[in-house]
Amino acid sequence: MTSAFAVDRAFAAIAFKRRLAYKAQWVVALVLGGGAMLVSMAMWRELLAGGALSGYDWDSMRAYIIIGFVTATVVFGAADWQVADRILDGHIAVDLTKPVDFQRARAAEYIGSMVSTVPTVLVGVLGAWLLFDPPGPATPLAGLLTAVSFVLVFPLAFGLTYLTVLVCFWTKRYLGVMWLREALLGFFSGMVIPLAFMPSWLQAVAWALPFPHFTTTPAAIYLGRVDTAGALGLLAAEAAWTLGLWFGARIVFNHAVKKVTVHGG
Amino acid sequence: MPILEARSLTKTFRRPDKTSGFKGAVKHLVQRKYKNYTAVDGIDLSIEPGESVAYVGPNGAGKSTTVKLLTGILRPSEGTVRVMGRDPHTERIANAHDIGVLFGQRTQLWWDLPVEESLKLLKHMYGVSDADYKARIARFDELLDLGEFMPALARTLSLGQRMRADLACALIHAPKMVYLDEPTIGLDISVKDRLRAFLRELVDGGTTLLLTSHDLADIEEVCERIVVIDKGAVAYDGPIQQLKAHYITTKAVNLFLEGPADVDELKLKFPQYEWAAGEAPSEVTVTYESRHFTAAEVLGGLTAELAPRDLSLSEPSIEDVIRRLYAGELTK
Repeated sequence: MTSAFAVDRAFAAIAFKRRLAYKAQWVVALVLGGGAMLVSMAMWRELLAGGALSGYDWDSMRAYIIIGFVTATVVFGAADWQVADRILDGHIAVDLTKPVDFQRARAAEYIGSMVSTVPTVLVGVLGAWLLFDPPGPATPLAGLLTAVSFVLVFPLAFGLTYLTVLVCFWTKRYLGVMWLREALLGFFSGMVIPLAFMPSWLQAVAWALPFPHFTTTPAAIYLGRVDTAGALGLLAAEAAWTLGLWFGARIVFNHAVKKVTVHGG
Repeated sequence: MPILEARSLTKTFRRPDKTSGFKGAVKHLVQRKYKNYTAVDGIDLSIEPGESVAYVGPNGAGKSTTVKLLTGILRPSEGTVRVMGRDPHTERIANAHDIGVLFGQRTQLWWDLPVEESLKLLKHMYGVSDADYKARIARFDELLDLGEFMPALARTLSLGQRMRADLACALIHAPKMVYLDEPTIGLDISVKDRLRAFLRELVDGGTTLLLTSHDLADIEEVCERIVVIDKGAVAYDGPIQQLKAHYITTKAVNLFLEGPADVDELKLKFPQYEWAAGEAPSEVTVTYESRHFTAAEVLGGLTAELAPRDLSLSEPSIEDVIRRLYAGELTK
């Protein structure tokens, strides 16, 4: 008898292998992500030449930008279109004839596709480390908790992406939904500009959303901008968002699946 | 006890009601209107274990929608379905373990991976043991020549290969109930023949089969029972042989005579039959009531009198009957 996790692993492995089939994607992701990282480095180097701004100096910003590169590569490199296409082209009809939980299967696939970005991350981080020599984590414990935060980014990204993909059941289109999600994610995560540079009311809005956990949370823990209790609090919030989005998506799917209208063969 | 039972099965969809043109598009943007469309209208269907049932109807009759209701993909608007005692929609995962589904127009292969990878994933999904997996793959290879394209990427397969691979995917877990929606669509005759032989063997092995197809040869060669639906409702449900016996009351013989055929003279000589000129001057077609005459009687009399150079007997076809059922000329 195959264990339930064997099925998850098989789905994740399939998604990973699908990404392997398109090797140029890795090069493109490295060029685009690495290019964006270099531009950020150049910009912040100029901006911070005169000293620290909003608590960030050039040292901490180098680490911050590399953390942003890691989360952006993992999150934006995942196969969200593959999930959306299943709904839009009616392939969900085939999925629903399989003895697996639709959400769990998609989660395994999505995380498999995210894992496929790890080589890009490793090469990018190694290159950035050699070029910019960023500071290490504030403490070994901060380093460990940062790693936990990175690990939580995987299911959190799935929850956020899947929930927005389910909107396709109503909109019948994905492009606009994806643009909106990516714009909000880029802005409120702190990937583009650290949240500390935003007015306090906008920071409050950001922290009421799941987005800051994609860059600000791991960066704050890594750089020691929060103490251990604060770091654990951020991780608890990240985990709570992960669970909330997971169960929220279940409720949305149960409504959405009643709207399945796959016409024709 | 039936393996599948549907009672008053109904599915209504809501469709946008738009008038054509720019004005219609703008109007729909401001004031959205929808119309309800009944795709399946109160269907009753009961299938016993081991039965092979053809589910046929014209385009848009509701065949695929019915299959999606029976497999749990869609939730019925009204009515009930039970497959092996379960509601296939609310108990979807449990039901999916016992059914195999093939949609001819939708592949279940992972497009950018070798066929073997898709089958291995399905092996995990259904919890098929290594021994059973190997035995079934060997069997599929024997009957469907699967081995030749197992390592090929799904997107590089021909349509016939893709369909054979999809059939293996639908059957890898030896399901008790199999739904095949247009399994031979777009295939050439040799692949169709192989698929039909495979399906026949599947049915002979005791698998229950529901087949939708526009290809009547699929139906005649694979199924014993036929359900004809039109406009979402059942127009006929019974054995194929009974459909033929009930509605096909005439048979035809094509005769090729030595010289030109005189149809008027033949009508006078054999008034019990209907006569029509064929395409060639020496060709003539005689139609007779199969309830009143046997083929031996007809052929014996005609060959003795006319000494034809050649002849052919047209076997009864359900194609005309179904066409007439679709057209509403025949009733249950």
